[in-house]
Amino acid sequence: MTEKSSAAKSSAATAATLGADREASNLVLVRRMLALAWCYGGSCAWVVVQQFFLVALNLSGLGLIGLGIDVIRHAVERDAAPARWPLGLSPPTDWPPLATIGAIAVGVFLLAIAQSSLRYWSAVSAGRLVQKIVVQLRCDVYDKLQRLSFRFFDANQSGSIINRVAGDVRAVSMFVDMVLIEMLGVLLSLALYLVYMLSINVPLTLACLATTPLMWLGAVIFSRWVKPAYRHNRELSDQMILTLSENVQGVQVVKGFGREPQEIGKFGVANGRVKDQKHLIFRLISVFQPGIGLLTQLNLAVLLLYGGYLVIDGQLLLGEGLFVFANLLQQFANQVTQITNITNSIQASLTGAQRVFEVLDAPLEITSPAAPARWTRPRGAVAFEGVDFSYRPGDRVLRDVSFAAEPGECIAIAGATGAGKSTLLSLIPRFYDPQAGAVLIDGIDIRRLALDDLRRAIGLVFQESFLFSNTVFANIAFGHPEATRQDVEQAARIAAAHDFIEALPQGYDTVIGEYGSNLSGGQRQRIAIARAILSRPSILVFDDATAAVDPETEHEILQAMENAMRGRTTFVVAHRLSTLRRADRVIVLEGGRVTQIGTHDELMRRGGTYHRAAHLQILDAESSQLLNAGKHVA
Amino acid sequence: MISQIKPPRAESTLTRYTRREEQEADSHPLDLRLIGRLYEYTRPYASQRNWLIVLVILRSIQLPCLTWIIAAVIKGPVDRGDMHGVAWGVLGFLALALFTQGCLHFRQRLALELGESVVHDLRRDLFARLQRMPMSFFQRTKLGRIISRMTTDVEYVRMGVQEVLFVSLVQVGQMTVAAVFMLWYDPVLFLLVLALVPVLWLLNRHFNRQLSKAHRDVQESFSRVTATLAESVNGIRVTQAFVRQDANAGMFSQLINDHSDFNFGLTKIQGRFQGLLDLNNQLFISVLLILGGYQVLSGGGTQVGDLVGFFFMANLFFAPITTLGVQYNHALTAMAGAERVFRLLDNPLEQQDPPGAIELSRVAGRVEFRDVSFGYDPGRLVLHDLNFVAEPGQTIALVGHTGGGKTSILNLIASFYLPTRGELTIDGHDIRRVARVSLRRQIGLVLQQNFLFSGTVMDNIRVGRPEASDDEIYEAAHRLDCLDLLAELPDGLHTLVGERGGSLSLGQRQLVCFTRAMLADPPLLFLDEATSSVDTLTEARIQRALAELLKGRTSFVVAHRLSTIRHADQVLVLDHGRIVERGTHRQLLARGGEYAKLYRRFVPC
Repeated sequence: MTEKSSAAKSSAATAATLGADREASNLVLVRRMLALAWCYGGSCAWVVVQQFFLVALNLSGLGLIGLGIDVIRHAVERDAAPARWPLGLSPPTDWPPLATIGAIAVGVFLLAIAQSSLRYWSAVSAGRLVQKIVVQLRCDVYDKLQRLSFRFFDANQSGSIINRVAGDVRAVSMFVDMVLIEMLGVLLSLALYLVYMLSINVPLTLACLATTPLMWLGAVIFSRWVKPAYRHNRELSDQMILTLSENVQGVQVVKGFGREPQEIGKFGVANGRVKDQKHLIFRLISVFQPGIGLLTQLNLAVLLLYGGYLVIDGQLLLGEGLFVFANLLQQFANQVTQITNITNSIQASLTGAQRVFEVLDAPLEITSPAAPARWTRPRGAVAFEGVDFSYRPGDRVLRDVSFAAEPGECIAIAGATGAGKSTLLSLIPRFYDPQAGAVLIDGIDIRRLALDDLRRAIGLVFQESFLFSNTVFANIAFGHPEATRQDVEQAARIAAAHDFIEALPQGYDTVIGEYGSNLSGGQRQRIAIARAILSRPSILVFDDATAAVDPETEHEILQAMENAMRGRTTFVVAHRLSTLRRADRVIVLEGGRVTQIGTHDELMRRGGTYHRAAHLQILDAESSQLLNAGKHVA
Repeated sequence: MISQIKPPRAESTLTRYTRREEQEADSHPLDLRLIGRLYEYTRPYASQRNWLIVLVILRSIQLPCLTWIIAAVIKGPVDRGDMHGVAWGVLGFLALALFTQGCLHFRQRLALELGESVVHDLRRDLFARLQRMPMSFFQRTKLGRIISRMTTDVEYVRMGVQEVLFVSLVQVGQMTVAAVFMLWYDPVLFLLVLALVPVLWLLNRHFNRQLSKAHRDVQESFSRVTATLAESVNGIRVTQAFVRQDANAGMFSQLINDHSDFNFGLTKIQGRFQGLLDLNNQLFISVLLILGGYQVLSGGGTQVGDLVGFFFMANLFFAPITTLGVQYNHALTAMAGAERVFRLLDNPLEQQDPPGAIELSRVAGRVEFRDVSFGYDPGRLVLHDLNFVAEPGQTIALVGHTGGGKTSILNLIASFYLPTRGELTIDGHDIRRVARVSLRRQIGLVLQQNFLFSGTVMDNIRVGRPEASDDEIYEAAHRLDCLDLLAELPDGLHTLVGERGGSLSLGQRQLVCFTRAMLADPPLLFLDEATSSVDTLTEARIQRALAELLKGRTSFVVAHRLSTIRHADQVLVLDHGRIVERGTHRQLLARGGEYAKLYRRFVPC
């Protein structure tokens, strides 16, 4: 229910932990992503068609230049083979060579215009497609997150959850643009290149591409080697950063105990490890890249040798043959290495998809009933009947808890850390459902009420209240965005917050810093109290609202609490005697059981745990005497 | 087009995204001073660096030479029909290719390693420097900022060292050599090439500017998304409790769409840029075809082979322009990173001990404040004319409102700061003349946050005295009578405490910190009591352990616990940096002043 409990119980709720079922088969994932792409099938197909035409235009341009060279060569050296005109499109024979070349140049330029417009167009359509998918997925995942039960958030670190919406969603969409489309694009271009080259000269093509499988193999082996190396490197850097951040956060301890030399040593080791690992990776890279380069150049050498022979032999044209080939080989090599990038993208998108689908598939657990009970005017009678609850099977946190609170009553809940106090409170707004027994409000099982109605009837103040970085006004009006200024001010007055809010630089329009950093703990809690009472709930729940503040601040909060609880059924988790004494009744929890119920005075008389605990805080007789004596003096 | 998309109205968002208070610049003009300092860092690796420069020069010649060989083979032997010549040419090509790639291997490896080594040294220096920064530095600097110096900024520098310099050099060299070849092939055509250079350069500049602006917009809108997201997840309990799911989802969708629009804008610019670059290349080739064709046909001395060679060389000449544009941007980023890293390195150090500082051996623990005034910034005092004496072995409770000056007093005694005025003495030695480390070694600290390092409980206790044996650690825990509580942990004293002590309860963390201080056995002890209440059973144990810990030491306690205050030898009540009341608990209660008023709020009566 709070920072505290989520940390303590994170290990508990295994059922909802993401990634528990890691090995969901890749095949299933791929099928799901293909289904996703299918929804955008039209756009995908369109982008692929554009890719096809881009490659085709590129080839035609290259071919034309080669043609131009041949025309010139033929014009200069009559013994050279005449240019071969594609598609039977030869110029009138009476054109001078220069006019022909001019025409070819214009053709090259026109093709270029077509190609660059198409390139722009295809970039735009691909971009639009990706954005469509990303927006849709992000909204879906966010929407789902908003509705998942607390169990989910207990079990997963917030950083990991945030990454799922921010980063992983992009990884999923990567499957469409970087994998599917890219792969089709690469295959298409390779096929087109191949066909084109084969159409020029079959044996030359085969000879020049003989090393291609080697190139591909090299790329695959390289990524096998280098990927784990990078992963290890990331772990090492994380370790180094952890050392640094602990050093800074614990700077007082470091300085206080004079630990600087040890810390420098510790960091030096972590730093050195990162460097060594990096050097290892660099060595791999510096072998691979020149290696691939060498293979490409080997191809060129083959071309030069064999192609040269063919040209001399008159089987191959210089421009359309040799020149075009030399250019194509370069592009061919680029495309082949591109395939490794695609396999990496597949890996990344699979991991991302797994994490995104885990969120989308997580069960909602707590939902409104199909036909909720009618509940118009909540009175605020709350009853627990034989409630059992556990975060994970076999480890019961609440056992057979039964009690009833009358409307308007104030119930304090006392007990040691881990006794189940916060858990008990979190059952009232149905953040969790009990395994046995029932919670009733106004005699109705809360599982029969509409979830939204139930939660609107309850005002909640958490142990460490979370405020959003927005204005004070927006924070108080959080549960009731259409609230007027008067409503908000009134709530703030009741919560004893109006005065300090008015004193802030921009009053109610002051923006609260991240996590409320520019307010004191007491001020934050009072804003939280105002937020809780704004919509006039009939039930108020305070989960140890004063735990994290010093006694002086506690006093401010208690004042606000007392104003707020008037006329409402109130539940308060409390350690301090000052709070416990004000309650109508105190429930003592021990190991998840209710062991004592009664007023403070009754419980003090009865002895037992409560009495022992209270005694630690009670003023010793002497002090009390002195204080009273002092009062008279003053 | 992009400027039309406005950020969403603040009223309709879940959170307000505020630009970080001092937005970090993402580029910095080239600065010789910074470059010079970076150069200094390559000094330990001088031989690597010098070899690199040799390799860079070799590389910039090799690539055009390879191309030249191809062109020469086509122009010469192929044109002549001399198969023998072709074979020799190819052999030469292969030999040069092998040599080239060999050079590339070392060029890359040396550059990468040099960059990483420089970065390693920078990190080492940064960390060592951090250890000597004054406390005030840590108070005003956010952790995230320090981390980004060590990660992002240092990465920028690495890129600068590894890439910018050497890649640019290779590219410039390649351009020059290619230019020479072209000039040799055909001077007239070369003039055409030269004419295109400024066009390309301007095109690059224009789009690079647009792109970096678009990138910034994308990043900013993404920060809005992640900020909202982070708060949504961290505040999920509030959201569900107040039934805000739908409203939030609507707002988020708007943010996402905004972000997507910016992204799309970026894609468009990239598309346009790429398209224009292609167009430019092809335009050049078309013109070359006509002009070159004319040159060849008119018999101006240019041959077909020259034309082919020219085509190849033109590629080598133009490609670097784009690369150089990218590298230039990288250089600016690297400068920005270097500037920030060096600024951190240049931060003033903690004041050094004065010459002839007194090395304290174990002190008795008499602390005296004589008219001490102090302010973190000298214009605003937070302590005014304090006078008090703590006799050896006494417990001094510091009581008062937040901001009263309690922590400042502790900071002064630990010499994290020096008094602005007045005299503070330890065993009669003026704190200004005492060697800091020798003083701090005598102080045990137990702070409110109960900070633990990741590691085992044992490791954390040993921080108090690194050379202590296991037995001594058990002994310390035993003396505090909390050995059983620590032994109860899953792996006893070898339990891992988790990041920031997360896997221990508050009470357990406090006990670990007590034991740590006990092990150090300092004559002076500072205790800033935690405010969060622990459950009552543990509380009783903590109080007992505390009493044991305080025994026989001069202790200063920022007190929240009644029992601590009650047993203090002196209670100092502070208000706005002045001591308003002093005396024992009983005396102060009897007086019925400020303390009694504070106290009454504490306790029901």
